[in-house]
Amino acid sequence: MNRDYVLVAALAPLLGTTQTLPMAAVMGGCAVLMVGLHQALLMPLRNRLHGAAYVLASLLILAGLASCLQLALRAWLLPMALLLGPYPALLCLTCLAMDRLLPEAGRWRSLLLHLGGLLAAYLVLGACRQGLGVQLANLAPGALLLLGLLLALYNHLRPGPAHPRLQGKP
Amino acid sequence: MKRIAQAAVLLATAALALSTTLIWRTWTTPTIGEAEKQLQSRQRLAVLPEASYDNHPLDTPLPTPDAQLAHSRIVSAYRATLAGTPAAVVLITQVQGYAGPIVLTIAITPDGRLLGSQVVEQQESPGLGGRLADPQVHWLTQFANRSLGDHWALKRDQGDFDQLAGATVTSRAVIEALQDALRYFDEHRHALLEGFPHE
Repeated sequence: MNRDYVLVAALAPLLGTTQTLPMAAVMGGCAVLMVGLHQALLMPLRNRLHGAAYVLASLLILAGLASCLQLALRAWLLPMALLLGPYPALLCLTCLAMDRLLPEAGRWRSLLLHLGGLLAAYLVLGACRQGLGVQLANLAPGALLLLGLLLALYNHLRPGPAHPRLQGKP
Repeated sequence: MKRIAQAAVLLATAALALSTTLIWRTWTTPTIGEAEKQLQSRQRLAVLPEASYDNHPLDTPLPTPDAQLAHSRIVSAYRATLAGTPAAVVLITQVQGYAGPIVLTIAITPDGRLLGSQVVEQQESPGLGGRLADPQVHWLTQFANRSLGDHWALKRDQGDFDQLAGATVTSRAVIEALQDALRYFDEHRHALLEGFPHE
């Protein structure tokens, strides 16, 4: 199985909270914060724990981070926290996917690159869904279609040849 | 040996995660309480036009005798005054909707007209009754300036008002709650406008 399928799990918070640009911006910021802290906290554990113990430690850290994030949102951005509902806690899925997919070599550079991409995805999707003003764009299925169109546009405009995998080759 | 070391690291991680969360919770609880109170007061007083009152209505709740009405229940009542004279009475009422209780804040002018009403809490079906709370659907604004003399019912029940499409139960519940509130104001006009608040 392609490891990139793990990324599908990270779609839920992205599609569920980008109805408006402010929501998307807050969620994008939370995502960057969560993934960054998760990776930073896991760094000293990476060499000490293996297998199930590592996964368990990762989950424990995520549980703590998600609880703190929800509390912080309620304390300082209560109206936004009510709009976002349970989605900030679902950012754990993004963190888990990132942890699995990041390469061992050049991990931090790759992390920064992907966090930038993630934040951009949140902002662009939020801006499009708010700007379009179409009923379908407000609903989650419309967001999935829009995300597909945006990715297609990105691949079309991207300089250089497309990655072999994106051309349907293994 | 290696397993014991792993278990120790895992235990330390768990303890650290748990204690950090608990400390963070203790630290944010007062702020969260304050934010909730602020949001609640903003929601409850949003029905009043700005600069139409100069007191702090929520600080002095009025007594609400006989709070159980025909279809709804008065949760609390507040008086907004401008330069000492009553400008409006805000009633918070709770009525049974389609999926759960609906809490409404209803502002009534001293001469018994409905100044406005807004939803504080609801659990109606999203896209149907839930559109009650959607700021882009101005269903609740059709009741502004109405008084007890109007026909408080949906058009399909030979009344004056449009219903929310696909949400008859919700619409009827809200109309009944509004009419109840106006009647309650009519019956307790003197106490609500001139009585002394709870200390």
